[in-house]
Amino acid sequence: MATAQVSEAEKVYILHGIREDLRVDGRGCEDYRHMEIETDVVSNTDGSAKVTLGHTAVLVGIKAEIGKPRPMIPNEGYLEFFVDCSANATPEFEGRGGEELGTEISNTLYKVFNNKHSVDLQSLCISPGEHCWVLYVDVLLLQCDGNLYDATSVAIKAALFSTKIPRVHISTDDEGGKEIELSDDPYDCMRIQVENVPCIVTLCKVGHRHVVDATLQEKACSVASLIISVTHKGTVTCTRKVGGGSLDPESVFEMTEAGKRVGKALHAPLMKLLQHEESLGRKTPKVGFLG
Amino acid sequence: MKDTPLSNCERDFILKAIEEKKRLDGRQTYDFRRIKITFGTDYGCCFVDLGKTRVMAQVSCELVAPKESRPNEGIMFFNIELSPMASPAFEQGRQSELSVKLNRQLERCLRNSKCIDTESLCVVAGEKVWQIRVDVSMLNNDGNLMDAASVAAITALCHFRRPDVGIQGDEVTVYSPEERDPIPLSIYHMPISISFSFFQQGTFLLVDPCEREERVMDGLLMIAMNKHREICSIQSSGGIMLLKEQVMRCSKIAAVKVSEITELISKALLNDRTARKAGGRCGFAESMPQERITALKTDETLMETSDVTERANDIVEKAGAPPQTVPSPLVPAPGVGQVSQGQQNTWGLQEEDEDDDDDDDEQNGKETKMETEPQEEEKGAGDVVEISDSEEEEVVILTSETSGQAKNADSSSHQKRAAASKRRPKK
Amino acid sequence: MAGLELLSDQGYRLDGRKATELRKVQARMGVFAQADGSAYLEQGNTRALAVVYGPHEMRGSRSRTLHDRAAINCQYSMATFSTAERKRRPHGDRKSTEMSLHLKQTFEAAIMTQLYPRSQIDIYVKILQSDGGNYSVCVNAATLAVIDAGIPMRDYVCACSVGFVDETPLADLCYAEESVSSLSVALLPRGGQIALLQMDARLHQDHLEALMEAAMTACKGVSKVLDEVVRQHLQEAAVLNVCP
Repeated sequence: MATAQVSEAEKVYILHGIREDLRVDGRGCEDYRHMEIETDVVSNTDGSAKVTLGHTAVLVGIKAEIGKPRPMIPNEGYLEFFVDCSANATPEFEGRGGEELGTEISNTLYKVFNNKHSVDLQSLCISPGEHCWVLYVDVLLLQCDGNLYDATSVAIKAALFSTKIPRVHISTDDEGGKEIELSDDPYDCMRIQVENVPCIVTLCKVGHRHVVDATLQEKACSVASLIISVTHKGTVTCTRKVGGGSLDPESVFEMTEAGKRVGKALHAPLMKLLQHEESLGRKTPKVGFLG
Repeated sequence: MKDTPLSNCERDFILKAIEEKKRLDGRQTYDFRRIKITFGTDYGCCFVDLGKTRVMAQVSCELVAPKESRPNEGIMFFNIELSPMASPAFEQGRQSELSVKLNRQLERCLRNSKCIDTESLCVVAGEKVWQIRVDVSMLNNDGNLMDAASVAAITALCHFRRPDVGIQGDEVTVYSPEERDPIPLSIYHMPISISFSFFQQGTFLLVDPCEREERVMDGLLMIAMNKHREICSIQSSGGIMLLKEQVMRCSKIAAVKVSEITELISKALLNDRTARKAGGRCGFAESMPQERITALKTDETLMETSDVTERANDIVEKAGAPPQTVPSPLVPAPGVGQVSQGQQNTWGLQEEDEDDDDDDDEQNGKETKMETEPQEEEKGAGDVVEISDSEEEEVVILTSETSGQAKNADSSSHQKRAAASKRRPKK
Repeated sequence: MAGLELLSDQGYRLDGRKATELRKVQARMGVFAQADGSAYLEQGNTRALAVVYGPHEMRGSRSRTLHDRAAINCQYSMATFSTAERKRRPHGDRKSTEMSLHLKQTFEAAIMTQLYPRSQIDIYVKILQSDGGNYSVCVNAATLAVIDAGIPMRDYVCACSVGFVDETPLADLCYAEESVSSLSVALLPRGGQIALLQMDARLHQDHLEALMEAAMTACKGVSKVLDEVVRQHLQEAAVLNVCP
């Protein structure tokens, strides 16, 4: 991850502040920064979303293509993740510099979504064993100021919510082969149920306490972090520990509980916001980066 | 390996010469070097010599499945390799900027201009099409690789014959050359690229830069045209700023050059065809001249020799007397040889001079004849003027006879002596 | 392309524009706070994001430091979802490398690199959505980003792509028109100097002059828009600074 250079005095300052539940920008330990979400920003895609979390900016585009299902699971579609850490975020990501971080994040995303409940993969099936929808989820990191996982997961959830997959009609032609027709009507489309899509919460251990949504500076002061993906019911789908430091089991338990609490609280406002945006319809002009 | 750096003297010299409309090899500003095209034994193999730049192109074909977006068109694939043979600066395997640039330019020049009918390369729509692969290798780099590569590529494509195919129902049979004559590719037109190099912020323009000129140039403009005066591609590179008039002028020059080169290519193809029909052996080996030492082969140039004798006499008169032969060495002591007295030590240490003189003499004696010659000259010959290389750029007056000859110490006409020591004018 | 009339009899193009009309240009400077300079530019449906870091110390191989001027380093990449067909590699293939070289060449001519010896200026451009005129939109966005970063330039660098259909030059091509013929020009409007000239597809020599004229006029039009964007941004920034 792009790192910030922090001096020892600054580290002590941040540590002491967090001990008193007071962070550098005035937040509490479990508060998120100002988050802005907008969907449907890229018109070439089937679904897209742009999330700005403080100074971190992430753009997700989803393209749906028809492909062959996996041989092991012939009656389900699947998702493919690709994370592109672009050089826009920091010059260190130029050329192949961002590949390592990109593969790390995409591997985590695979793990998070690797269960039956997150996304209803059976609805992505067209004809078992032959055709299915493959959703290519492309994440583009534009600006990096800590907490990439959270921003990415919120963006993916928003993008999946806004994805419109055209309906398919299967007809058999003369020779017995199947012909697939996509309906031309742009409004005749299938939506994906995103109720159960988990959100990732990153908790960084700074001193004896843990913080949610750490900035780069706070990350430089922490030794270890825990990444938890939580659904809206509070179920944990994936846990990962990152960082070189060690965590004792009690703090792991504490952090997991805190993560579940925070994650659960994140989903409800998010869904409300997405539905509100949808209800505004196509009349409101999209702001995108022009705001 | 890094290229040997270009010294400032060379750079200034070349730029100055260009300002006076002179080029290193005596060409005019709009002249191309001599182009020589030879073909190999196989169809589709051709060598192009552009002066000393040497390039080889080889065309091959293969039956493959077509691209999904274009199911009834053949595939053209271009590849330029900068072989380390061509220049010490080219490294094996690494795709340098130059290699990417040349590849993209060749692709744009030949593929986007649609010079080859790709639909005729289709055998079975959606299943089998011909993939034509053009591999261009640089064998020697003496500047202007792009032009040589484009000539080589298009000539090789014109020369190439692909095997004939027969389709019976679902079966596709490829006939070998013995069974059925191979068919040439259908080529609509021959795009050829012409490179213009710009110097002194675009004031001066040269066509077909050689390697030295390429090193000092500001930027390059490549125009690819065919003989019907259709521009196939334009590409400017380097940090130059162009004006519209310059571009128009270049395109007019390019039109003329392209028609000349196209003529040359057609002639070469015709010669090759007649040679093959006549049954004679043809190929790379045959194109090399026999019974000649090829390492130092230089092209013959026409020279005007009518006034040679007069000019030679002039030069001989003006030149000084030939240097005297070195006298046989004296042997002051066993194991020591002394050829001459050596020079006056001018380091300013007067007392040590005499002591050091003898040592200097001995060392001088062992050095080559050329060392001592100038010293003999200055004592003997009257009108050889030596110019010191001191920073003061002063005039050096050697002997009283030549006191009248004061020449400007022009820094560009130094005469360097190997063991030069500072000489101050004698009082 | 059969069936698609690029220029109708009344002189209207596929998207309803006239032959010399440019697409709608919308731009914003200072999009990202972390970079030294950033800009976002939309030209019709093509959207690009440009970010500038520098001038800073030479990163990577110190041997490439130039003793008398700044080295310019560009990278051009496209988002995987930017084209209609998903792109697998955002950058690193030949076309992107070539574009990066062209951008570098263009900006080396325009930025006053003599003022920053032994340093490096990074320009990163990302295409978010591609609908023709990729190179031109990149150059325009990068110009705004360089201005946002406060790096002095000789002049605005404006670029535009023009094509030739039915004996008429068309300015600012979209994707469908680009595949027929396209000439891209990067211009410094005040002196009329061309920083980069690139053309694909066949064109008869006699038409070249008319086409280049059309390109230069279009570039001058773009430069007016860019100028306005810069002045507006400056006004906003000044207002924010003045108000307590």
